[in-house]
Amino acid sequence: MDRVEDEILVRRLATGDERALSGLYDRYAGLVYGTGMRYLGDRETAEELVQDVFTSVWRNAAGFEPGRASFATWVYRITRNRATDLIRRRKARVRTVDGEPLFELGETDPSGELSQNFDMAVALSRLTPVHREVLVLAYFHGFSQREISDRTATPLGTVKSRTTAALRALRKAMNFDEDRLSADE
Amino acid sequence: MSEHPDTRDLLGPYVMGALEPHEERQVEGHLERCESCREEAQELRLAHECLADLAYNTEAPPEDLKERVVAGMPRREPRRSFPTWVAAVAAAFCVLAVLGVILAPDLLGGRARASANLSPTDRAPDAGGEVSIQGTGENMEMRLKAWGLPPCKSEQYYELWLVEGDERVSAGSFTVGQSGRVDIMLNAPNFAASYPKVGVTAESDKDPRASHAKMLSGELHEL
Repeated sequence: MDRVEDEILVRRLATGDERALSGLYDRYAGLVYGTGMRYLGDRETAEELVQDVFTSVWRNAAGFEPGRASFATWVYRITRNRATDLIRRRKARVRTVDGEPLFELGETDPSGELSQNFDMAVALSRLTPVHREVLVLAYFHGFSQREISDRTATPLGTVKSRTTAALRALRKAMNFDEDRLSADE
Repeated sequence: MSEHPDTRDLLGPYVMGALEPHEERQVEGHLERCESCREEAQELRLAHECLADLAYNTEAPPEDLKERVVAGMPRREPRRSFPTWVAAVAAAFCVLAVLGVILAPDLLGGRARASANLSPTDRAPDAGGEVSIQGTGENMEMRLKAWGLPPCKSEQYYELWLVEGDERVSAGSFTVGQSGRVDIMLNAPNFAASYPKVGVTAESDKDPRASHAKMLSGELHEL
């Protein structure tokens, strides 16, 4: 499923294909959950955010229009809106210790950083499995170049050149998405 | 840049701060003299910073959450046929198939979008077939012509699948009689042509997954 575009998985989702849901979950659940932990602050509510977001994706897959926005943009909007709902709901019953609200409404992603993260998740998904592996091991598992060499039974020099090639490919994938968004506008 | 491949290959780990001190000095010495590598390092640094930011904001959810999320989805009716009414549907298909063969190109108003030649497996070595996908928009159809299939016994039927990796999406089921032949039109999802393969399996239960009894398979080529 690695090379299947998000948009194709969403169309399969619309037919009730649970494997497509599983594929999209693998790509985006970590980011949605991380968003929940960051903005909502506790595991239980972060899990609720993941449930809410993927239920919404599942329910609305048939109405998704890839020509209007990428799947990442769509799931980003759902995540932001659901997180805001959860913040609003909690604010109704909880105040922080000094009486200030945890967040102002509409401040779920004031700097646009979260939006950029979703775009990066898409760019990462466009890489070849070999390139993605070396970057995921380095950035998401914190392994050194030598540890990656040991784990993948690949010469250290190859790991280093492969890391360079992978970052280069990632930069190109970022450009691809930027170009596509510009064309859509 | 091709005249200094060794240093250039180190630019990724360099922007990540993952080089040994002596390698880092080597790269920095080179960057002072080479504008094109400086520019490339700048590009890679941007990718590095965005990826580091993504990793920082990503957190692995509890392992059982995926199972709970999938299990908690509202059910949809699967695109699936079952043996109890397969015979009736197959009979209807026989009529539609004849009409379909004659009328389909005009009714659907389109040429084939994708096609596949089906090769036999050991289970049906004399079998063969063709699949074509045609139509426009939501009105996509798959035409299956197959021959040499073993006649279906009671409660047995065949199923056509769209295949990609481990994924199988049912395109419909059918039965064959003593002739071992079938020529039918099946409704297809509008993205059917995006799958790389198709296959036919023999089925005899209500398990919505494909059985291992593969009879025919082929690569789907978009036209």
